[in-house]
Amino acid sequence: MPEKPNKFRIALISGIVIGVVSSVPGVSLINCCCCAGVWLGGVLAMYLYKQQFTEGMPPLESSDALMLGLMAGVIGAFTATCINILILVTFGPVEAELVKSIVGNMLDRLSEQGSMPSDMVETLKEQIDQSIKDAGRMSNIFGGLFITLIVYPIFTILGALLGYAIFRPKTPPQTTQA
Amino acid sequence: MEFNKRIYLILLLLVALWCAGIVLAPCLSSVLPGVSAFLYSFYSPICHQIDARSFHLFGEKIGVCSRCSAIYFGFLVSVALYPFFRKLRSPAFPKNHWIALAVLPMLIDVAANFVGIHDSSLLTRAITGLLFGLILPFYIIPPLLEGIAQLRDQQLAQGGFFYARKTQ
Repeated sequence: MPEKPNKFRIALISGIVIGVVSSVPGVSLINCCCCAGVWLGGVLAMYLYKQQFTEGMPPLESSDALMLGLMAGVIGAFTATCINILILVTFGPVEAELVKSIVGNMLDRLSEQGSMPSDMVETLKEQIDQSIKDAGRMSNIFGGLFITLIVYPIFTILGALLGYAIFRPKTPPQTTQA
Repeated sequence: MEFNKRIYLILLLLVALWCAGIVLAPCLSSVLPGVSAFLYSFYSPICHQIDARSFHLFGEKIGVCSRCSAIYFGFLVSVALYPFFRKLRSPAFPKNHWIALAVLPMLIDVAANFVGIHDSSLLTRAITGLLFGLILPFYIIPPLLEGIAQLRDQQLAQGGFFYARKTQ
């Protein structure tokens, strides 16, 4: 009986996709919506893995989704950090500048409408400037890696489980041993 | 206690902790500013945390925006109520169209706001997010319980991690 497809190759592809989506300035804003880029990466991993199955292989199981999601999340976190460092070294804090311009325009609009006091707007702009200055610090980069190593696997596992629920083989689920 | 029930309780605890962190971030800002700053940093990779788009507690924005917080708290409520709707022992998957129906209002709200035909408000973001959060556990919990049980069985077969527990 042939074995199940190799999970690592699929996790590597999905992890790289997650890393690229999460670190390319502009595209990475998708993660502002509940880490959508990351959990969609988990769904993608499950979809790609299901495509690898051929006749005669053992069936796709939910434990495959768990392992695949975990691996894709860890690879995604490392890839995103590496690309972030590369972008930071080459172009500087591009994403922080992009966020600054978007949020800055929004804050100006709120201030003009009178929805937010102008001193609060200035304070928030100062905080954004400070975050741009902090972006290049090594402690921030490794702190970011630490957080993404926790957060990304959580969301990729959720995405892969959701992917399994959507793409699962259409047979009744087995009753698990209590 | 049944294995699935234990896993479910751990999941419920983790989700509750995740949601507690969201609320604690503003609550601790004056008492423990370091912890509060860490919590804001922790949630920053997954949310824009824009002040104007967030709910506030004690004058400070909570850890994530209104849409994200509605998803997470909807998820928490749904996980807590899950055993009243589905058996933990033999988890069943809902039909795929329910998740599509749950995500659709959120996508419409985001897209309509993006193209400028409708201004999404805190309320529309919260309601559409809540709907998505409430449905999600019905797709996540069954494969999670099934998957962990399968991993346990695989480990048992190999005499691994769960072996000692089983033999006690």
